[in-house]
Amino acid sequence: MKRKICFHFQISQPFRLRTYRFFDINKDHHYFDDYQNSYLTRRLAERCYLPANAMLLDLIKKHGNEMAVSFSIAGSSIKLFQEYCPEVIDSFKALVETGCVEITGNTYTHSIASLYGKEPFMEQVHLQEHLLEEVFGVKPTTFCNTEIIYSDEIGEWLAEAGYDTVLTEGARHILGWKSPGYLYCNPFQTDLKLLLRNYPLCDDISLRFSDRSWDQYPLTADKYMGFLGGLPQDAPFINLYLDYETIGEYHVAESGIFDFFRALFERIIASPEYQLMLPNDASRTETKVSTMHAPWPISCSGEEKDTAEWTGNELQQEAFQQLFKLWDLYKISENKEAKLNWLRLQAADHFYFMSTKWFPQQAVRRNFDVYPSPYQAFINYMNVLNDVKLQLELAPAKHTR
Amino acid sequence: MKVLMFGWEFPPHIAGGLGTACYGLTKGLAKNFVEVAFVMPKASGDEDQRAVRIINASDVEVDTRYAHLQSFSDRVSFMEVNSQMVPYVGMNDYYQLVNQLNSGVFEETVPGEKRKYSFSGTYTHNLMGEIEQYALVAAELARTEHFDIIHAHDWLTYKAGIVAKRVSGKPLVVHIHATEFDRSGENNLNDIVYGIEREGMMAADRVCAVSDLTRRIVIEKYGIPAEKVVTLHNAVEPTDRIVVRQKAVKEKIVTFLGRVTYQKGPEYFVETAQKVLEKDDNVRFVLAGDGDRMTKIIERVAELGISDKFHFTGFLKGDDIDTMFGMSDVYVMPSISEPFGISPLEAMRASVPVVISKQSGVSEVLQYAIKVDFWDVNAMADAIYGILHYPALAKMFASKGKEEVDNLKWEKVAAKLKTIYEDVLNYSGHEA
Repeated sequence: MKRKICFHFQISQPFRLRTYRFFDINKDHHYFDDYQNSYLTRRLAERCYLPANAMLLDLIKKHGNEMAVSFSIAGSSIKLFQEYCPEVIDSFKALVETGCVEITGNTYTHSIASLYGKEPFMEQVHLQEHLLEEVFGVKPTTFCNTEIIYSDEIGEWLAEAGYDTVLTEGARHILGWKSPGYLYCNPFQTDLKLLLRNYPLCDDISLRFSDRSWDQYPLTADKYMGFLGGLPQDAPFINLYLDYETIGEYHVAESGIFDFFRALFERIIASPEYQLMLPNDASRTETKVSTMHAPWPISCSGEEKDTAEWTGNELQQEAFQQLFKLWDLYKISENKEAKLNWLRLQAADHFYFMSTKWFPQQAVRRNFDVYPSPYQAFINYMNVLNDVKLQLELAPAKHTR
Repeated sequence: MKVLMFGWEFPPHIAGGLGTACYGLTKGLAKNFVEVAFVMPKASGDEDQRAVRIINASDVEVDTRYAHLQSFSDRVSFMEVNSQMVPYVGMNDYYQLVNQLNSGVFEETVPGEKRKYSFSGTYTHNLMGEIEQYALVAAELARTEHFDIIHAHDWLTYKAGIVAKRVSGKPLVVHIHATEFDRSGENNLNDIVYGIEREGMMAADRVCAVSDLTRRIVIEKYGIPAEKVVTLHNAVEPTDRIVVRQKAVKEKIVTFLGRVTYQKGPEYFVETAQKVLEKDDNVRFVLAGDGDRMTKIIERVAELGISDKFHFTGFLKGDDIDTMFGMSDVYVMPSISEPFGISPLEAMRASVPVVISKQSGVSEVLQYAIKVDFWDVNAMADAIYGILHYPALAKMFASKGKEEVDNLKWEKVAAKLKTIYEDVLNYSGHEA
C-alpha cells in the first residue's frame, strides 16, 4: 500500500490594530490599521497566494486527482481578501471546483477561544461554517484549529459539532515513543480521527529552506524525498501542515521555493511509494486507530508545543480574561459592529505580540510585528478592548434605524 | 594585572554618576583579580579602599625634571575657561553649583548614591589649570608606579592619561561616561572640552563607551575608528535600602526625578501629564528636581491649567528620594540625550514601573521597561495610562523589573573590561 502524504496549508492573517491611544476610548470606534491590512493583504496575495494558487492549479490540470492539498483559511483572511484583493477568492474557488482541494473548518477570526471554553469557541466554528458555505459552497468535515490547538476536550466539542477528522500537532511530550505517522483518535469520541503533523519535516521547509548555515542547504525535492524515505516505512501517514506564506513570503520566490514545491509534488505523484491525500480521506481508510490523550492543549508553538506563546505571561492572561469576560455581553448585545470587533480581538496574533517568551531575541523572531515591545502591544490591545466593551454595552436602540 | 586608573571623584564625595561608576567598576575589577590604583585630585581619606588603593594626587610630589611635560600643557594653557567643569554638568548647572558652593550648601553622600557635589577649594576657579597639574602628577606616578595599563575616566582626566602613556609607554584606555554633545547639545558645544575629549580618544588604544548610543557619538562626531570603540554598559551596586511603598494621597502618582535641564526633557513630561489628566483626573504628577528650566516649566504648567495635579518638590536627596519612589506608581525619564542614565534602575529596584526614552543608554540593557521616543508625548501618555489602568503590566514590571536590575552586576562589566585590557595588552605587545 502506498504511504499517504497529507499537505495542508494554513492562512490566518488577522485584522491588524492601529495605534489606538487611551484618549480614543469612547470617542473613536475604528480600531484597524486599514493601510497595513490592505498593504499586507496585497503583498501576500502578490508574493504568495496568487502565484502559489496558480502553481497548484497548473499541477492539478496536469495530474488530475492525483494532486491533493487542503487549506484552512481563517474567516478574517477571507474578509480581508474580499475587501482588498477579491481575485484571491476567485483563485481559491477555481481550486475548490477541481475537487482536488479540500477546505477544512477552522475559526472565524483565527481565534484562541478554544482555550477559553466551548460556547465562544463553537460560535467561532459556526460563523466560519456559514462563511465557507457562502463563499465556497462547502461544508467541512475536517477541522484545523487556530495554530492547530487541540485537546481531548476540544476534540469532543468538534465531534459533537459533526466533524470526523482533526489536524493537530505530533507533539512529542504527548506521543512519547509513538509516531505521528499513524492514525489516532480522541479517547472519548473514538470516531474522531486525528492526523498528526510531522513537525521536524515541516520545519525543514518552513524554518530552514533558506538557511545557508543548515548542513542540508540547499534543500531540493530529491533531498526531501530522501528525508521521507528515511522515516519508518510501516507508518502509513506523513502529515505536513505549513503556513501558506511559507511559499513566497517566508521564503521569497528567488529562493527557489516555488520550484521546490512544484518538483516535490511531481516527485510524489510519480513515486510508486507515495500518494497525496486529502484529510477527509483519512476517515474512510481502514487503517487501525489508536487513541491519543491530550489532557492539556497542544499547539504548533516552539519546542514546547504548548499554548504559552498566547497565554503564557501575566499580560496575556489579563487580556485573555478581560476579553472573554465579555462573552455574556456579546450574547445579548445587538451592536453588530462591536460584536464583530470583539470576535476579531480573539485573534491569536494580538496575543502573540504580547509574548515575552522569546526575550531577549524576540525582535528577530516575530513576523509582521508592528509593536516596539510586548507592553505596547498589550496597552494598545487593552485600549481597544475597553472601547469595544463600551460599545457592546450601548443600548441597541442607538444602532437601529 | 595592575591598572593605573585616573578618576575625578570617588564616593562618598560625588557630583554625578561618574564617581559611583568608578566605585562599582573598581570593586568589580577586584573580584576579577585585577588590581587598581585609583588616582583622584583630592581624596579626603574616607573613601572605601577595600577593593582599591586610592592615590591622592595632592599628596604626590612632582619631580621637576618632568616639568618639560609642561610643553604638552602649554598648547592648551590658554584654555582657561569657566564652564562645564564637572562631569555630567552643563554651563547653567555649573553656575548654579558655584552659587550653591558660595552659599555654603554642601552634600555628603553614602557610597552607591549620586546626589550632589562636595567642592573643595579653588578648583572651580581654574579647572583647566588643575587638569594640567593633575597631568604632571600623572607623569610622576607613571614613572614610579608599577602597572600594566592606564585607564582614564571622562575628559577631565584624559590629559593625565595621555601623559602617563607617554612617560610609561603603557597602553591607554579612555572611558566615556558622557560627551560634550550630551552635556551641552549640538549647538552649544564647548570647543575646548570637545578638543580635549577628542585628543584623549585619539591617543587611546581603546575607547569604552557606556552605551551603544554613546559609542555611535564617539564614532560619528569625534571621528574615532569604530574598531577602537567598545560598548561597556554600566551596572548598579546592590543596596540594602528597602523602599517602603506608602503614600498619603488616593491618586496614582507619576514621577519625574532629575535635573530640570534641557537634556532631561522635562517639557515632555509636562505635555504628557496634560494628555493623561485630560482623560483621567485620578492621577498626580510630580516633578522632583531643580535646574535652569524650572521657571519655564512652572509657567507651562500654569498655562495648561493643571497646577492642581502637577507638583514640584524641588531638589530631593537621600531618604526623600526613597520616599518619593515609595509613593510612585510610574517613573518617567523622558531624556533627550542620556549616555546611560542610572535613575530608572533605582526606580525599578524600588519596584516602580518605568517609562524611559529610547534616547537613553540604559534602554539598551532593559527589557522590563517601556521605551518611547522622548518627543512622542502620545506614546508616553499611553504608556503611563496603560501602567496605571491595566494592573497586569504594573505587576509584571514590579517583579520582573527588580529581578532584571538585580542582575546588572559590576562584576560582569568588569569581567568584560578585563577582556578589553587583555586584548589591548596583546595587541600592543605585537606592536612592540
